[in-house]
Amino acid sequence: MMRAREFVQPPGVGQAILPADTLSSVSRRQMESRRQPGLAAPQRLLLLLLSLFLAFAPTLPAQSIPYSRPVETAPQAETIGGGYKTPAVQKPLPRDAYLQMLDVLLLAAAMGISVWLVIKRRSRKWAVALTIGSLAYFGFYREGCVCPIGSIQNVALALTDRTYAIPMVVTATFFLPLVIALFFGRAFCGGVCALGAIQELVLLKPVRVPPRLDRALGLLKYVYLGLAIFLAIKPALGRDFLICRFDPFVGFFRRTGAPHMLLLGGGFLLLGMFVGRPYCRYLCPYGGLLAWCTRLARRGVTITPDKELDCGLCAEACPYGAIEHMRAVRKDCLYCARCYASCPRDGELAHTKAELVHLS
Amino acid sequence: MTYRQIRVIGGKGNAPGQFATSLRCLAVDAHGQLFAGGDSEIKLFDAAGRLKRRWSTSRPVLSLAVAGDGAVYAGQPGQIEIFDGAAKLVNTWRGETLLGRVTAIGFVKDGVLAGDAADRAIRHFDRTGKFRNHIGKHNPVNGFLIPNGVVDFAVDAQGVIHAANPGKHRVERYLPTGELLGHIGRFHGTDPAGFGGCCNPTNVAVRDHIYVTEKAGPRAKVYDFNGNLQAVVASAPFDPNCKNMSVAVDGRGLVYVADTVKLAVFVFEPVTV
Amino acid sequence: MSEPVTRRDLLHQVVRGGVLATFGGGAIFLVQKAHGQVVWQVDASRCINSRLGDTGAEACKLCTTECVVALSAVRAVNEYSKCGRCNICPAYFNITSAVDAQGLPSEKLCPRDAIARKPIGKADPEDPANNFYEYSIDEEKCDGCGKCVMKCKEPLGLGSIVLRVRYDKCEDCNRCAISRACPKDALIQVPVEQALRPPELHPRTE
Repeated sequence: MMRAREFVQPPGVGQAILPADTLSSVSRRQMESRRQPGLAAPQRLLLLLLSLFLAFAPTLPAQSIPYSRPVETAPQAETIGGGYKTPAVQKPLPRDAYLQMLDVLLLAAAMGISVWLVIKRRSRKWAVALTIGSLAYFGFYREGCVCPIGSIQNVALALTDRTYAIPMVVTATFFLPLVIALFFGRAFCGGVCALGAIQELVLLKPVRVPPRLDRALGLLKYVYLGLAIFLAIKPALGRDFLICRFDPFVGFFRRTGAPHMLLLGGGFLLLGMFVGRPYCRYLCPYGGLLAWCTRLARRGVTITPDKELDCGLCAEACPYGAIEHMRAVRKDCLYCARCYASCPRDGELAHTKAELVHLS
Repeated sequence: MTYRQIRVIGGKGNAPGQFATSLRCLAVDAHGQLFAGGDSEIKLFDAAGRLKRRWSTSRPVLSLAVAGDGAVYAGQPGQIEIFDGAAKLVNTWRGETLLGRVTAIGFVKDGVLAGDAADRAIRHFDRTGKFRNHIGKHNPVNGFLIPNGVVDFAVDAQGVIHAANPGKHRVERYLPTGELLGHIGRFHGTDPAGFGGCCNPTNVAVRDHIYVTEKAGPRAKVYDFNGNLQAVVASAPFDPNCKNMSVAVDGRGLVYVADTVKLAVFVFEPVTV
Repeated sequence: MSEPVTRRDLLHQVVRGGVLATFGGGAIFLVQKAHGQVVWQVDASRCINSRLGDTGAEACKLCTTECVVALSAVRAVNEYSKCGRCNICPAYFNITSAVDAQGLPSEKLCPRDAIARKPIGKADPEDPANNFYEYSIDEEKCDGCGKCVMKCKEPLGLGSIVLRVRYDKCEDCNRCAISRACPKDALIQVPVEQALRPPELHPRTE
């Protein structure tokens, strides 16, 4: 899936990845002297933590490079003269902390709206609008980063590897949808997830997957989840981020990618025209986690059996096989609100009819 | 005219006749003895290439020159140390502004010239060390164009200064008063008669011809005073990462080139066909 | 209308509370150890295009071809303060191309024409050799192929041009695709502050 930002606790990096000279005492002094007053609070905190680390980091021997330039030989602005000023080297900063926080807030807001639209308003129309909005922002604008699905690996690694750390943004991105699922079900899947959204929108003519096959295929995602965690928590050299690597749709979000991955994504979309959200139902490892949390959910999409009318239109409308025996299977419900839209006694259809009756 | 390699002096190592970390400068005296500077040390090799004497300097040696009376001038960062023929320190000229980084020393009739790479110019002093004038400083770029970090020059028998200006791909001729007489050389990326790369030649020596060394790819060449290429002395023996290879010529016409990576002095002999 | 609390609901509430507590604990644990953002950066002393001793080799183009970002998130940047401002810049010109009437090489090196040159200081319009030049790289055009980096490095140049990750483009992938392919493991994760300072390619010894 989308790659979550990866954050490593610096001492571990120093030992495992960094060449000795990049952490030489000289550069450390330079770095500290580079700190400037008047920075924003989060940056100041970052710098404080950084300098704390630097103070305690082990001194590493300088790596010997066989050739060295004895003195600075490049002409500087004062020798060039003519009022010349050395321009700053172009080096854009990583995404600002407040923008990263904004992503988390948007994620939370989108899930809240999704819950409200589907459970309270029972509005398929607005749920689709939210899906499109999420696809545009989290998918095409943010190019699929950060996402909870990929963050599984980072969280697993951060929990097991002493030297690996993830920033609060990733922690929040991972836990928020799970907490929502504990109370309201898979609101993340319906209104927010960009991977889900792209599949949701291509669904043309869903065929019913035989329940037994559906259940069997559904187990795949747990295998995938286990494999992804297993590979992610391996020692640094053998480590692999399977979910990110085989994200079928991120190539579309980024408008670039390896041909075989784009082909795979195309395949999923093609399949998704007839089988509702195949990646979500059968492969998505985060979907597996959400499904388990949803089992404990207090509220969710509810199908109320009607005393007079057992039409089953809702079950027909559900492309995900999440309505069995006129009851919503909340762990499989992907918050699309199709059932409500199709219900003759509830939702938009019912309201429209009522109005018509009233008018006539 | 062609050249063949007859000897290799020094090399990287800790033996007395070897250089541990650096080899920066060469000079030959009237007897064909070779002075080589590096590692804050001056080594004297006899005409056959055997180590005769070695002594330390207070700072890393960047340049060497032997005066007519046998005194050895050692250019260093911020100073020039003057030794007599017996390697005894007789004088030290200090001056952070005029002698920022002395990468070449030469002699004219009644004066001493020092190339200051920190200020990209040549200083003209009298024999007592009193400053007279700058050479090569008053031009639109305020000095020589030396991204390689070395001002190098040599003085011919008439007292004309031949200074390498690598950024311009020229060897310029100056009078000791600072007057620019002219130059030889032009850029050419493939023709060996031109100077290649961003900034060449880096070092220069003069006797009956003008001897220059280039970096990237390293080579030593001989030009006549009109700028016509006479010979490519060598290029193959030098380490490709070599730069600022000091060059010296003795009375027999032997060409000494210091490989700054292999830390060895390559000696070439002219072969007349 | 209140629903009667069943044993099943009670059980759910307890389990939910437990799961929430676990999440909270995990989150607190992760937040406590979360400090110091690290980002991918090219270690110039490892990258074959910029590290010393690889003279003459063809530029490694893996940063261009492997990156998941269009055109690559790795671009060449010129650390101006280290640039020699040469008239004949081997990273700007194809220095082995034919020499034109002005005495300059006739071809440029950059296949995407991303490097611009302008005289600076007291410019002498008569003699191109009498000027300093500023070479700036248009990062929107540059695809990080490293050809100029290869030519700029010592001893041919001063090594002022190096490959750098551009953070407004970098997706910060868990496992950077370039790092996967890089033969010298030159893509490393460093703290942000460190990633933004100029690379120490040539430690000064004296």
